[in-house]
Amino acid sequence: MNYPLLPRIANGDLSAVDECLERYGGLVWSLARRLSRTLTDAEDAVQEIFVDLWRNADRFRAEIADEATFVATLARRRLIDRLRKSRREYDSQPIDEAALQYAAPPHKPPVEVAEEGSRATACLEGLRKDERNVLELSIYHGLPQTRIAEVTGLPLGTVKSHSRRGLLQLRDCMKIRSRRRSPGVEAL
Amino acid sequence: MSNNDSNRWEELQIARLLDGLTDGEQAEYDEIASRRPTEEQDSLSKVVATLDVAWSNMQSEQLPEHLRRTILERANQELAAKPTVELAKRLPERAAARGFGNALPWFLAAACLLIAVFIWGLNRPAQQADPAQLRADLIASNTGVVQANWSPGTTPVLNAAGDIVWSSQRQQGFMRFRGLPVNKPTEEQYQLWIFDKNQSDKTPVDGGVFDITSTGETIVPIDAKLRVQEPFMFAITIEKPGGVVVSSRERLPLLAKIE
Repeated sequence: MNYPLLPRIANGDLSAVDECLERYGGLVWSLARRLSRTLTDAEDAVQEIFVDLWRNADRFRAEIADEATFVATLARRRLIDRLRKSRREYDSQPIDEAALQYAAPPHKPPVEVAEEGSRATACLEGLRKDERNVLELSIYHGLPQTRIAEVTGLPLGTVKSHSRRGLLQLRDCMKIRSRRRSPGVEAL
Repeated sequence: MSNNDSNRWEELQIARLLDGLTDGEQAEYDEIASRRPTEEQDSLSKVVATLDVAWSNMQSEQLPEHLRRTILERANQELAAKPTVELAKRLPERAAARGFGNALPWFLAAACLLIAVFIWGLNRPAQQADPAQLRADLIASNTGVVQANWSPGTTPVLNAAGDIVWSSQRQQGFMRFRGLPVNKPTEEQYQLWIFDKNQSDKTPVDGGVFDITSTGETIVPIDAKLRVQEPFMFAITIEKPGGVVVSSRERLPLLAKIE
């Protein structure tokens, strides 16, 4: 059982910062590497994300989401903002080429992966192949929908509907699996 | 909420999560979100965050050590500057029940102390801004910031790396270094030169003299002596203390070209 660190950081406890980097450094770094144009961008983003995290530590509520989910949500939001800005400033081609070179998401979760994570990846595996492909290009590789349409050859409208349907199915699937494992408890 | 509204709400949530929102969409999102329960706003974010955590656990990437050290340093600055508020402790009933007369000397002493603190606060030197935060703010400012990595110059030094960011709109920029040797300011100093498309290559703009005090990550603000309009290259030279007006460029360890 990992005790939350953010409440300690919100109280100015510097010793919790080191533990926080140990616990979530890899998570934020892997997200930043996937969703950044260059290594330098990823390094800048990671610094910004952790500063954001210290500043917003008091917003964490354990009863709403676990700490790793809170960190990942905050990190992704910051990274998507940065990607959006960089797409405005540069031609999108080099960004997307770099994103696609990053390895595909692992599909078979090892036993030690957290239960909720296993549910999520199992639900993703259960989607239709084209929907899963669109979601992976979007969530994992950070490609904009227009670029996904180019890469897959699907019309933009289809890409949008696949993203939407896929995400809603994922949410519902995770809710159902969560109820099966913990009768009477709604995880989301 | 009608079906159309509900569809639009889902559309905005998904766009925010996957592609980000335009300013107009963000305003629309905020307006709808203010009418929806918080848990509903977060349900799709949670799904994606759960996948992000799961993928990260499967790959077990480590945060690079130099980045970890930099973040720790910034955390020290950030948390040291953060005001911590403690709730006032409740007075024991007996103390609270004492008469005003007994407390008068204490009130006077406290008033004097408050005045002293106020005067000290007025005269206190302004807190130094954190260069790393200023740099991050500049990059996020969307003011036509250009960025380039340092590459070896004509007299390279081993393992020196980093980058430079500059906004002509703001006339502000920062150099970032790792592994650049520490200099002795009494013997020599580093100097930045900015090559501008509107200026002869022979007379680049002086970007300021600076010292390196650590081979760890160091961020140095650029102090351009003239207005810089369209920079295409930055160069670091080593000069005598105080710098020079025109460099012989004999010792030029780093260059950064804007692609």
